Amino acid sequence: MQKAKENIMHILFLVSACISVIAVVTICVFLFANGVPAIAEIGVFDFLLGESWKPLENQFGIFPMIVGSLYVTAGAILIGVPIGLLCAVYMAKFCPQRVYKILKPAIELMAGIPSIVYGFFGLMVIVPFMQKLAGGSGKNMLTAAVLLGIMILPTIIGVAESAIRAVPESYYEGSLALGATSERSVFFATLPAAKTGIMAGVILGIGRAIGETMAVVMVCGNQSVMPEGIASGIRTLTANIVLEMGYAADLHRDALIATAVVLFVFILIINTLFSVLKNRNKD
Amino acid sequence: MKTKRIAQVCMALVMTTALAGCGGGSDTITVISREDGSGTRGAFTELLGIAVDDVDNTVVTAEISNSTSVVMQSVAGNTNAIGYISLGSLSDEVKAVNVDGVEANVDNINNGTYKVARPFNIATKEDLSELASDFVTFIMSADGQAIIEEKGYIKASDNGAYTPAGLEGTIVIAGSTSVAPVMEVLADEYKALNSGVTIEIQQTGSSAGMTSAIEGACDIGMASREVKESELAEGLIPTVIAMDGIAVIVNNENDVENLTSEQIKGIYTGEITSWSEVK
Repeated sequence: MQKAKENIMHILFLVSACISVIAVVTICVFLFANGVPAIAEIGVFDFLLGESWKPLENQFGIFPMIVGSLYVTAGAILIGVPIGLLCAVYMAKFCPQRVYKILKPAIELMAGIPSIVYGFFGLMVIVPFMQKLAGGSGKNMLTAAVLLGIMILPTIIGVAESAIRAVPESYYEGSLALGATSERSVFFATLPAAKTGIMAGVILGIGRAIGETMAVVMVCGNQSVMPEGIASGIRTLTANIVLEMGYAADLHRDALIATAVVLFVFILIINTLFSVLKNRNKD
Repeated sequence: MKTKRIAQVCMALVMTTALAGCGGGSDTITVISREDGSGTRGAFTELLGIAVDDVDNTVVTAEISNSTSVVMQSVAGNTNAIGYISLGSLSDEVKAVNVDGVEANVDNINNGTYKVARPFNIATKEDLSELASDFVTFIMSADGQAIIEEKGYIKASDNGAYTPAGLEGTIVIAGSTSVAPVMEVLADEYKALNSGVTIEIQQTGSSAGMTSAIEGACDIGMASREVKESELAEGLIPTVIAMDGIAVIVNNENDVENLTSEQIKGIYTGEITSWSEVK
């Protein structure tokens, strides 16, 4: 009796573990089975490096979208990382308990806000501001980068804060004992020791930024042309999929799935970087 | 001292980049379009000659939005923007311009003077269930058409009043996001008259709706455009349930009241880029 119970539970746990693996494998198979033939039909170079996306005229070049995704993500990192890092340092080292009690839940709340709400915030607040600043419609690469920079803050702050807290207090105290000021000790002894953890946070932030869809679609303008500067509109890979999925048919639909394949490969690279970093940390 | 100099150079660089990116004065038109494959875009580009022989010539720098509400919000927040939406969704936040001197309203679509109008279609297969065909009868009846008019669309039939048939079961409807809002009101009204009926409405887009109807995944498909030849060949029977105007909208502060269809075409194909050219 006992043995049978044991076995049943054993199987139950195994099945639970398998379900997530099966889900990932199914997604992979679906993506590649539909996407790869489409890429082959369009032609790898025409697809990846083509600059013209006119699905109704059978032109499927996603280069502007790849560039768009990379630019916006880079912009988000430029804006989000310095703010997030300094915020994490403040929270871990300098923040009075009373402020921390407000700050921590606020940042956790930020992480929980649905992206469509961020999108509306961007559309109503950041877009009109950009119109005044840069002219034009206000929907451009910079707007999207600013919005994404805000959206990745909780990810970066969360991971960086715990990385800084994980550094043994003796580093900080040792530095103080050598005559350094408190600030100098934090920035030149504690922070370098937390480097790997902080990098992990940044990489997770990149993953979040490149995969973000609903918020970006509302503020980036969605023009599928090569961007000419930070004030020109762009379309990201994710935006391309969500904009046209509802209506697409035949090769157009497959080309959108192929776009998802490209995005998937990007995420794969980012996750690999993340685990390489984590492993290096262990050694 | 040195840091200060570096900071200054950086500031200057940032400013130059920002200014260089601006482009044009405040007179430049911001063109807002819907996404490729949208029923509204399909009808708009075809009616105004922006698309010729299935080649859509909408200017590539046009901003793309995938919903009516985002188009309205963008136009409401940008004094230089132009966009287009379903007449039924028009609100005070934006201003509809006259096309060729004709105001966009129900009367002018009925008498055929306002030319930017399209049909709302439903498509069914021949072996339609008794219940679904009773629902279609309801839509085309005086009661159903009254709801359509109330929602700001133009009625497409002059049938008499509807008598509930007392049927029971489920109807699945899928397709255009433009038709869905009025379909939901129609469904609620029908369910109030026939208590044993469940109606499920899926907003998937015109083309996806037609595909589902062909495959039998839904009873009734909705399209905010004409049903294509290829879809008719698969055995779909279209029924026009309403006409909808497409309003060309600008910001409330824009003093343009009238545009000719040639001017709208010019703006959307990128030949006209500033408001001073059309005033």
